[in-house]
Amino acid sequence: MESARCYINGIGILSPQRTFVNTEFLEEVTNYNTNILTCITPDFKTYISPVQLRRLSRMLRIGMTAATICLKDAGIQVPDGIVTSTGYGFLDETEKFLKELLERKETQLTPTYFIQGTYNALAGLVALSVKCTGYNNTYVSKGFAFENALHDCMLRLLANNDLNLLLGSYDESAGVQYIAGLRERQFKKEPTNSLDIFKNKTVGCIQGEGSAFFDLSGQPSPSTWCSVEGLKLFYLPESAEELGEGISSFLKKHNISETDIDVVISGMSGDSSRDQVFEQLEKILFIQTPRVYFKHLCGEYCTATSFGMWLASSILKKQFVPEVVKASSTRFPDQIQTVLLINHYLNRNYSILLLKRYS
Amino acid sequence: MTQRVFITGFGVITSIGNNTAANFQSLVHQRCGFGELSILDTIHQSDIPSCEIKLHDEELKKMADVGAGIGYTRTALLGLIALREAIHSSGLTKKELQLSGLLSATTTGGIREFERHYYDLIDLSKEGSFAQYADTANPGEHCERLADEVGIKGYIGTISTACSSSANAIIEGAQLIRNGLLNVAICGGSEALSKFTINGFNSLMIVDSEHCRPFDNTRKGLNLGEGAAYIVLESEESVMRKSKTPIAELKGFGNANDAYHQTASSPEGTGALDAMKLALSSANVSPSDIDYINAHGTATENNDLSEGIGIQKLFGEKAPSFSSTKPYTGHTLAAAGSIEAVYCLLGLQHQMIWPNLNFQHQMPEVSIAPVRELKQQVRMKHLLSNSFGFGGNTSSLLLASV
Repeated sequence: MESARCYINGIGILSPQRTFVNTEFLEEVTNYNTNILTCITPDFKTYISPVQLRRLSRMLRIGMTAATICLKDAGIQVPDGIVTSTGYGFLDETEKFLKELLERKETQLTPTYFIQGTYNALAGLVALSVKCTGYNNTYVSKGFAFENALHDCMLRLLANNDLNLLLGSYDESAGVQYIAGLRERQFKKEPTNSLDIFKNKTVGCIQGEGSAFFDLSGQPSPSTWCSVEGLKLFYLPESAEELGEGISSFLKKHNISETDIDVVISGMSGDSSRDQVFEQLEKILFIQTPRVYFKHLCGEYCTATSFGMWLASSILKKQFVPEVVKASSTRFPDQIQTVLLINHYLNRNYSILLLKRYS
Repeated sequence: MTQRVFITGFGVITSIGNNTAANFQSLVHQRCGFGELSILDTIHQSDIPSCEIKLHDEELKKMADVGAGIGYTRTALLGLIALREAIHSSGLTKKELQLSGLLSATTTGGIREFERHYYDLIDLSKEGSFAQYADTANPGEHCERLADEVGIKGYIGTISTACSSSANAIIEGAQLIRNGLLNVAICGGSEALSKFTINGFNSLMIVDSEHCRPFDNTRKGLNLGEGAAYIVLESEESVMRKSKTPIAELKGFGNANDAYHQTASSPEGTGALDAMKLALSSANVSPSDIDYINAHGTATENNDLSEGIGIQKLFGEKAPSFSSTKPYTGHTLAAAGSIEAVYCLLGLQHQMIWPNLNFQHQMPEVSIAPVRELKQQVRMKHLLSNSFGFGGNTSSLLLASV
């Protein structure tokens, strides 16, 4: 496959940190001590009309706001297509409908929660709001959903580089997922300070959430943040060595050597039982490369790679690495040209993403 | 240089048959799966008849060859049965499978199991065999399970765009092959009936308690159904290397959005028209070349009006033969796109056009009418298969004989 030119020309992101103002960059940092991180949100009225606002669930408001900020940042009114991604969808709404159904013994149900619990509800809502009749798709592939969606966009840009595609993610800290997840030791049982999850690692991660939107185009614009050069997915690698070899051949394919990478952004989750491949990998690859972690800020969720992609884009655009994300004592370079984002979800879904500075 | 995409195998399970041969026989003899529910535990067993597969999960586990099948949801079981048939019919080897992609679609994943064990699952003081279903509210769970079971590692993705989901899974698989990222992509969807789905659609008041009547003026709504189907897509290079004779070519596809209403299609049929137009243009085929359309035809007032108008706008008075096969299988939601693509392929192989059952009264808004009787010995070159869904999603696949 040829490499697609893929520029990030706009971003909007709501997360458990104050990230909805694009001119700010992690100046304030919030610590959570409940293992459940929830989004810091702006006044929704600024972004969503009052009529629409009343009808929307919390997560639809968050997603719609992120999409609106992104389009404004990109200076785009109507994108040519919308591709969203989520691991668990609108699980709160799904649970509300399910509970009503069980409590009322399948009688007297209203469809609102059912409709708003549909995985493609956000992609449909955004399309409807901006009257986008173009390509529309939604991926729900656990820890690969965002990567699949990004991949889809990159292939579409390869076929037509004039397109502007709106790529989005959303996942919520749903109570029911937290409880069900505890059964598989997916989440930590003991209350932990989110900012300390890498200090004394314990079993399980902390639950995060967020919604991030990116305007992607084959053409740069005055608002370009950076470019996405390549993406690769690895499903269930058997060892750190296998993953390392995969990363090395990916870099080779992109004519890049290990030392060309200025910063590695790692989706280490703080879960002592599932981070082992990443811990091993740090001893094999990029030993000297300055390293950044981010899941102490956003928590773990299926589409957390999108938070990582925002972080990478911000570092490349602003040429600045906030102290709170630095994970190695290595000196960070003055000029950051190339960033590699590597992520894993529950030690099953691994992905790597190569991003470059645009100037 | 993009690769052409061929279809080299498929597998299907629905309320009218557990495999391809049984589905074919039912289509030929116009046997439908519509009737009272008896497997799903719901208060609506008799007042919302649906198209249910009359096999209990234990029987499905045997068919799917998964032993005790710990953690298997009905969605995963149906999916695995269709997937195994698809793999077998294409003759894929273990090594090929490892490098293959799996693109699967669902609207609710394992919500059937989740709703059954909900109170136990959220009470952490309880322990028991229900715990195997802890992650079944996740829609991507079934896809990873299927990939792990048959040994697919090349690429995996789950798609959920309501009732157009598996058509979009097929489109994404085709895109990955066209760009040389995969040689083989197995694409489709699986959907099990659940209380969640039945009550959800019932609350929207678009379910007909009688047998559905697509494109008929007296239509009152859809019948729900369950099933799964997967199609094996292979690159031109792969087909040639193995000297395989493909079943058909996936020549084009279109995906658009109606952007009209969260759960309704536009009365102008904009999205339907756009999707079909895109499918034609991507295949470089003109409307007059189309021999048959397998319509989405859910039998809701809204869909059939919108789709009928869309078809008429695109083809004028000379609309090709078209029919909805929803009266046979019910609306199988995420699986509908791939099940109906399989029915198109069966039609192509046997030179048959499946009649649109239960059509009697012409809709006054359009002058076109669906095929009412089984047509045989019809030589077809190009077929369209439509799938539309909530959220304004519209997709159309263009299949061509080889």
